[in-house]
Amino acid sequence: MSRGFVETAALLVFATGLAWLTPALAHAPLLDCYVEGDSVKCEAGFSDGTSAAGKKLSVLDASHKLIADAVLDKTGTFTFKPPQGDYQVVFDGGDNHTATIYSTEIK
Amino acid sequence: MSVRLRAAAATAAAGAFAVGFPPLVSAHFQMLYVDESALTRAAETPMAIVFTHPFRGGPTMDMGTPRSFYVVSQRGEDAAPVKTDLSKYLQRIEWQGVGNKASAYQAKLPREVVRSMGDYVFALEPEPYLEKEEDKYIQQFTKMVMNVGGVPGNWDKPLGLPAEIQPLNKPYANWVGGVFSGIVLSKGKPVPFAKIELEYVNHAPDLAAKAFAAAGAIEAPHPAFDNISVRTDAAGAFSIGLPRAGWWGICALGVGPLDKHAGKPLSQDAVLWVQAKDMK
Repeated sequence: MSRGFVETAALLVFATGLAWLTPALAHAPLLDCYVEGDSVKCEAGFSDGTSAAGKKLSVLDASHKLIADAVLDKTGTFTFKPPQGDYQVVFDGGDNHTATIYSTEIK
Repeated sequence: MSVRLRAAAATAAAGAFAVGFPPLVSAHFQMLYVDESALTRAAETPMAIVFTHPFRGGPTMDMGTPRSFYVVSQRGEDAAPVKTDLSKYLQRIEWQGVGNKASAYQAKLPREVVRSMGDYVFALEPEPYLEKEEDKYIQQFTKMVMNVGGVPGNWDKPLGLPAEIQPLNKPYANWVGGVFSGIVLSKGKPVPFAKIELEYVNHAPDLAAKAFAAAGAIEAPHPAFDNISVRTDAAGAFSIGLPRAGWWGICALGVGPLDKHAGKPLSQDAVLWVQAKDMK
């Protein structure tokens, strides 16, 4: 088995797992979102407490089309109007480390 | 009196002492209790605020109205800490301890209070309690640290309490068998050779029933095991082991700056709660 395959498999597990089940690696990306009025507020951070400033957060619809994105400021938050239907929010922590949360888990 | 009779009398006296008048070797602990200190996501958080002897589940003491109850939260190590007053959530309750009932408080903290990821350092400054046996007041500045989502923040930052334990390990992330360290502070300055008592919450608290379980989880083999005596070192630091899953209370005695209240001696103590989990 090539090392690349192992890394890809690990990445797949990472990317498809729930954001808050991400193992606490030294610098694992963490993401949570909740409903605030008619908007959704997302917070991104890292398990070692470092800031998510400068990292990218994306909102994808059910067909994986990008519907909103942002480069996070030092608050690590992003607020958006949720679309109709299912969507997912992806926090790209860099180095192929992402955290994803699905609309069904956002309350 | 024959030797045998003397022995019988001594045994009877010892038995009466043990059953009727348990020696007060267990220590006072101001509890800030939640079932779970490490939340994966925000949830409504009921909290019990009880002044008791947690290893024996009592006697439990009547609490006065707390002077302050708040949380300082922080998401990320570089973020600014946010202080939130929680006194509006305090509700007076009767808590059923082992052997007696006493005035205590509960706080049904809504999800909004812990909605963001990060650390939540809860603090209680109680009204001094008059310990009638010793004719002295006890005031325990108490901290309990929660985390939501795994993003750390201010778990290791002192709040600036008159008497305070600064943790050197995350109080919400400890394996059974691990070591927990901290520094005892008096107005922010380390206290060398401070007297510390360590006690296990041996009677499971039931928030819905507002009671401790009548039966303890374990029995101490000797009175000195009810609460474990520890001292800080010359730099004011201490370490303890965590041999069993559950909540452990750490109390540094008389380290605060004030030693008088209402004309009587006062002990300003610092309490910190630590939760340990089985490695399974």
